[in-house]
Amino acid sequence: MAIVVACTGGIATSAQNARPAEATAIPRTADGKPDFTGTYQWPTYLPGDERGRSNATTFDRKRFAPLKPGGEAFLEPRTGDPRHDEPRDFCMPAGFPGGMLSGNAMQFFQTRNNLVMVHEFQRMTRIIPLDGRPHRKGLEPMFDGDPVGKWEGDTLVIDTTNFKRWALDDFYYTNPKEYRMHSDALHTIERLRWKSKDALSYQITIDDPKIFSAPWSQEFEIIAKPEWEAQGLFEYVCQENNRCPGGKCGGSK
Amino acid sequence: MRKPIKVLAGAALALSLTVSLSIAGSVSLVAHHSFAAEFDDTQPLKLTGTITKVEWSNPHIWYYVDVKNPDGTVTNWALSGGAPGQLMRRGITKDLLQVGSTVVVEGFRAKDGSTNGFGRQITYPDGRNVLTATPQDRQSAPAEK
Repeated sequence: MAIVVACTGGIATSAQNARPAEATAIPRTADGKPDFTGTYQWPTYLPGDERGRSNATTFDRKRFAPLKPGGEAFLEPRTGDPRHDEPRDFCMPAGFPGGMLSGNAMQFFQTRNNLVMVHEFQRMTRIIPLDGRPHRKGLEPMFDGDPVGKWEGDTLVIDTTNFKRWALDDFYYTNPKEYRMHSDALHTIERLRWKSKDALSYQITIDDPKIFSAPWSQEFEIIAKPEWEAQGLFEYVCQENNRCPGGKCGGSK
Repeated sequence: MRKPIKVLAGAALALSLTVSLSIAGSVSLVAHHSFAAEFDDTQPLKLTGTITKVEWSNPHIWYYVDVKNPDGTVTNWALSGGAPGQLMRRGITKDLLQVGSTVVVEGFRAKDGSTNGFGRQITYPDGRNVLTATPQDRQSAPAEK
């Protein structure tokens, strides 16, 4: 059960995010940590950043660090084979970070030792340990990577490694020729904090040393949607009635 | 500039089908599952017919509409829409798509040229309107980069 107490300000990442000097009330757990338990809209772009052409959010190209030599593989041409160009067509997972930016509701559950982030899209579930443990070793690369969390003041910092090479975001809908593929060296850092009583600041840092010459970051906003609590998340089983595998739609008629 | 081309359309038919081909297409489309691979937003679709079946399931709803052709034959069109969860969160439920009702469906054709399509909007004869796409479909897309 969350309690609300006064906060004198979180960690600002830029002048844009600087918080007012006066105290701001945010939800807190019994042990005083910011409490992110609740229902939310998907991460949305900030004014000035492009949102892509779909209801999902994409990274803004102007945030990218320059590609390093060999990093051209990031912008992989489409081949015409949907198994390559859009594997979600076959109900393959979007993975992180792409799936996190999809345009469906999210619900977070926080305990002392874990933050569980459930995204309605594909029911992507991320379990973020908060107990200080290191990354697991010896795992095969994963679609969502291996996340661990730690607190820096009122900001939760989520460090994720051990990704397999996969689509970075939902760019499929913005440019029909390019496909943004992160490498298997991807390392992400998320910074999550309350920026007001009804919205979170959500910054994702993309550190992909096979692709980019330096890490780069983009901040999004996650708006709390307590009015969605009553309905909760809806089921999403992609395989239930996927009638367009491979881009060839076929109704049941 | 839009240049509608009527296909199989009969002015005297109460149930008619009009397919408009154009290069307009300045719309944002439901996207969580590969719209671009499946449907063509440069080929708007508008048809009138009777809802025969509704599949309210993931990853997208599908509904089916019998459309009478000028030669008297009937074509059963299959229309896709948003994900059930996206729709229900906006208060759009399965019972708003009434089997047996005559409706006008507007959307886009499938890229494969079949009688499948994406239905953005259903309008009943009394003017009631059901947007079967996502909220963002009502917004204009930003200019192409």
